Amino acid sequence: MEAVQRFTELSKQVMGFIYPNEIDIQWSILIVVYPYITGLVAGAFILASLVKVFNVKELQPTYRLAMLTALAFMLIAPLPLQLHLGRPERSYEMFMTPNLTSAMAMFGFVYLWYLMLVLLLEIYFEYRRDMIVWSSETTGLRKWLLKLLSLFSTDISEKAVAFDKKTVKVITIIGIPSAFLLHGYVGFIFGSIKANPWWSSVMMPVVFLFSAIVSGIAMVMLLYMIVKPLLGGKIDMKCLDKVASFLFYAVIVDFSIEVLDFIHRLYESEESIKILSQLVSTKLFMSLVVLQILLGMLLPLFVLAIIKIFKLQEEVRKLLYFVCGLLIQLGIFSTRWNVVIGGQLFSKSFRGLTTYKMEMMGIEGFLVALVLLIIPFVILSILIKLLPPWKKEELTGN
Amino acid sequence: MVDFFKKLPEQAVRIIVVFLVLAVVLLVIRQFIIPPEIKDPAVQKLASTQREAAKGIKYAGAEACAQCHDKEPEIKKSGYHRDLSCESCHGASQKHVDNPTEVKPTSPIKRDYCVYCHQYSASRPTGFPQINPDTHNPRKPCISCHNPHNPKPPTAPRSCNACHAQIERAKSASYHALIECSVCHATPEKHKTSPRTVIPTKPDKREFCGQCHDKGSPRKGVPTVDMGAHGEKYVCWQCHYPHTLGGI
Repeated sequence: MEAVQRFTELSKQVMGFIYPNEIDIQWSILIVVYPYITGLVAGAFILASLVKVFNVKELQPTYRLAMLTALAFMLIAPLPLQLHLGRPERSYEMFMTPNLTSAMAMFGFVYLWYLMLVLLLEIYFEYRRDMIVWSSETTGLRKWLLKLLSLFSTDISEKAVAFDKKTVKVITIIGIPSAFLLHGYVGFIFGSIKANPWWSSVMMPVVFLFSAIVSGIAMVMLLYMIVKPLLGGKIDMKCLDKVASFLFYAVIVDFSIEVLDFIHRLYESEESIKILSQLVSTKLFMSLVVLQILLGMLLPLFVLAIIKIFKLQEEVRKLLYFVCGLLIQLGIFSTRWNVVIGGQLFSKSFRGLTTYKMEMMGIEGFLVALVLLIIPFVILSILIKLLPPWKKEELTGN
Repeated sequence: MVDFFKKLPEQAVRIIVVFLVLAVVLLVIRQFIIPPEIKDPAVQKLASTQREAAKGIKYAGAEACAQCHDKEPEIKKSGYHRDLSCESCHGASQKHVDNPTEVKPTSPIKRDYCVYCHQYSASRPTGFPQINPDTHNPRKPCISCHNPHNPKPPTAPRSCNACHAQIERAKSASYHALIECSVCHATPEKHKTSPRTVIPTKPDKREFCGQCHDKGSPRKGVPTVDMGAHGEKYVCWQCHYPHTLGGI
């Protein structure tokens, strides 16, 4: 009965002609959350790699925070998919019975590789020495937790620490293509759906990747500005300016690639162009034109350029960076929304548009999505408690 | 091997041990916990084959019908329904084959069955016999006029729109609405009984359209062009679709 009511309600909002199976869309807000979260992982890791591989010394204060952010979001990344599919307890079977021809099944392996062989290993080697030292200084549960996390390792000789440093560098070098693979893969899934002209584009993995880098850098910048003062430290303006300038370049590249994709579609002008322009100018106008392009991309780009050109005061810069970070998060979330939901709003007959009515309470609803977006921050706060990103000397400024 | 481990720093050995333990756990789960039919596609295929084979047979196939019924398959062979299987209309008949006297197959005698294929729909191919069931001899069973094993119209269709309704509708709203189909298409009488083998003509010369649309044509109130300079070697309908509004 509820389904019938839902159907009649939706059918009133359908424009033009659509096939019967297109009225109710299948990939909901959870599938929007998933690429957003994996994007943050990949972006945060790329920022961390700037320190270790490209030796950008100014960014050092964000390195550990970026790694912990990547881990916190990585642990939650598969959850939206598992909840959407409805049988999370079966998901380990994809590792046990690998299906090598399914791109979706391959995600499991990309995820496992990235989590186990890149993030966890790198954090282990990065923190190993500190974990041993901290565990000797504290007592109780924290002591044993740190001992367990350091795998009961005890060697803090110079030789061992040098080995750790070298390994971290090697892992980061392997990690960069892995991070590209992780998020490029998400774009690949959408880009390879031939029947859907909104998705089917070879540009998709690249667009996803660069928007991931943008969102990850912006997220670490926001967290740095919130967490460091909360822990009693002072924001290092040199570091913040450098993060912001990398963010500025990343937004420029991301914007150019998206514009290129847009022009390419217009120039190709395939049979779908009419329905897609209708889609953009009606159903996606708010989320694509206003939120994604104007507020999420052009406005931050403009503000960051202003900061670069005029020498603004420290406090003003901080405020503007913070606002830009928030706007970019909003913009990238809208990007994911426009890809996932937008791609399902038009009929494959190219003659009509349906509508998406988000649930509030159900497993595919708004509240679950909100919880999924909050959990990584809870995990991150626990990680920061257990493995502080800054040493006491760094916080006090000595 | 032991020497190699001794050379490695202690933490690397620990990591390797952790990964080895994980790998062994995964292998143990795969080997002993995951049931074989999930792992092996061959087992899955065998299981589904057995499952399908265990289901009862419902359709007997047209050959089985022809073993007892001589007349109908013979008539059907040369008619338009030759490619339809008997069971398309008479339903699944394996039970009838097993027990011919007790179980009889169904025979659709009402109008509502034929219209599944023969009701007018714009998406059906041109020339496919289509009717409007509301106006085509309402309430009369189709089989009272048409023999389903060799369906032929008892009388030839009176006008082109009996079959070409879509074109007729488009034309009725165009500038050519008052021009009879036969002005442009010479239609042999046999086309009405054998629509796919005897086909009407199309104007194949520019001069045909020029009779009305050439600059020098005596007709008044018709758009005219210089046929010598316009369109050169193309036949007019290669660019202008004559049945739609305006003919462009």
